[in-house]
Amino acid sequence: MTQAIEDRDIQLDRMQYVKNTGSSRLCYLGILLNVLYFVSIYKSDVGSWYYQILVGGSIVYNLLFMLMVFLASEGVKNYQTNYSTLLIALGAGQLARIFILPLQAHSAVVKVSGAEVAVMQDFQFIRVVIYLAASAACLIAAAVINLQKSRALAAHLAAKSAGQA
Amino acid sequence: MAELSLQHIDKIYDNNVQAVFDFNLHVNDGELIVLVGPSGCGKSTTLRMVAGLEDISKGKLLLDGKDITAAPAKDRDMAMVFQNYALYGHMTVYENMAFSLTLRNENPNVIHKKVLAAAEILGLTSQLNKKPAQLSGGQRQRVAMGRSIVRNPKVFLFDEPLSNLDAKLRGATRREILLLHKRLQATMLYVTHDQTEALTLADRIVCMSMGHVQQVGTPLELYDTPNNIFVASFIGLPPMNFFDVVFEDGVLKGKGFEAALTPEQQDILSNYVHKQIVLGVRPEDIAEGGSLPVLVTANENLGMNTLVHGYIGDRSGNRISAKLRGWAEHKNGDRTTMRFTRMHFFDKDTTNAIRKEAK
Repeated sequence: MTQAIEDRDIQLDRMQYVKNTGSSRLCYLGILLNVLYFVSIYKSDVGSWYYQILVGGSIVYNLLFMLMVFLASEGVKNYQTNYSTLLIALGAGQLARIFILPLQAHSAVVKVSGAEVAVMQDFQFIRVVIYLAASAACLIAAAVINLQKSRALAAHLAAKSAGQA
Repeated sequence: MAELSLQHIDKIYDNNVQAVFDFNLHVNDGELIVLVGPSGCGKSTTLRMVAGLEDISKGKLLLDGKDITAAPAKDRDMAMVFQNYALYGHMTVYENMAFSLTLRNENPNVIHKKVLAAAEILGLTSQLNKKPAQLSGGQRQRVAMGRSIVRNPKVFLFDEPLSNLDAKLRGATRREILLLHKRLQATMLYVTHDQTEALTLADRIVCMSMGHVQQVGTPLELYDTPNNIFVASFIGLPPMNFFDVVFEDGVLKGKGFEAALTPEQQDILSNYVHKQIVLGVRPEDIAEGGSLPVLVTANENLGMNTLVHGYIGDRSGNRISAKLRGWAEHKNGDRTTMRFTRMHFFDKDTTNAIRKEAK
């Protein structure tokens, strides 16, 4: 029991010098899944349905999203709690995105040579939903892990400095 | 417990150049041995052979009695500290120090304990989150040492670790290495071309020249009783003065001077009557006053001492350097007199020291 407490103590102490690579790697995975999402969704263009302002906005958001997640990955590496908030917001954004472009494309139908064709087939819809949901899960998990670790580290450092005092 | 034994070791490169000749040395447990010599004398090659970074052409290397001559570097349980630190620039101090243990898949908690203990010894605790680029040269060298300490190796090897540091930092880091050795009581092999490092750090010094061991002994032995002219000239700063002299009628006769000998000194030179020998006098064994006429050419005040350079007699005489106590105010062209307070004698042909033969 004492050994377990000591091990836990050392683990916490280690966190002062070892970066939170778990959270930052989850962030990178979140970026990768987002890349898979937008590569998949733009591939599904049928007719000219995608030539609209929403897709333009989606492209710009993708760029901003990757930039912000990368920034947050560096922040959580150093146990900075405010980046957890950003990651949770971005994760929620990923979930919300399911109901914007993918859902609209899934329910949209265009006429090609007189025949009605669905812009996004069921299989492709499921795939992009999985990518977005998984990306959101990664970001939220990264945020939660970072919050837990940074709080534990802060408590450990406070206890340590109180002990020294 | 780590005793190292180098037996008849030779190093011959593929192009038949021999860098080390018949190197023999027994390093006792906890001993700090310094290999010293000018550039190209084979000291670093010897150290690299011990580390396993160079093959041993001939001879045997034993660690605690076990033959490790052909063992790969990773299996020798030795840690080497290099002149250029060899730190990973993208890693923090902590990560650099922990790296070798991480590669060995050691428990992270154990690694943490070892790194913190080493950092504490080296005074690096507050620097653990910094990258090497943010550290001074001395601190970087301490990180390199810390990386060795965490491994707890049987033997520490240092290859001119202070050469990249400025004079002030070199002195401070040298003292740290000495304290480290006292604290760890580890067996250490240290290579340097700086005789000050050798004299201050070593339990024993191995003085090398042209791949040959010239003398092995304590710093005092090398300073006080050098085996030959090379050791006498290499150890000591400023270097020893050498004069060609002839032993006649109980005195040494040199160009423009004579030096009287004690009966004991005459006894030592009894086999060299009417023969030419080399007289060696350390600058600090020269004092003002006496019968030696000196023409002063330069006067360097160092505070506690003054270095006086000149010629014996006139400018056609032998050059002489004296380290006089206190502050002296000689000018170029001044004439003064000096005397030798201690002398060393060397055979002109063999360059070996002439000593009293044991009866």
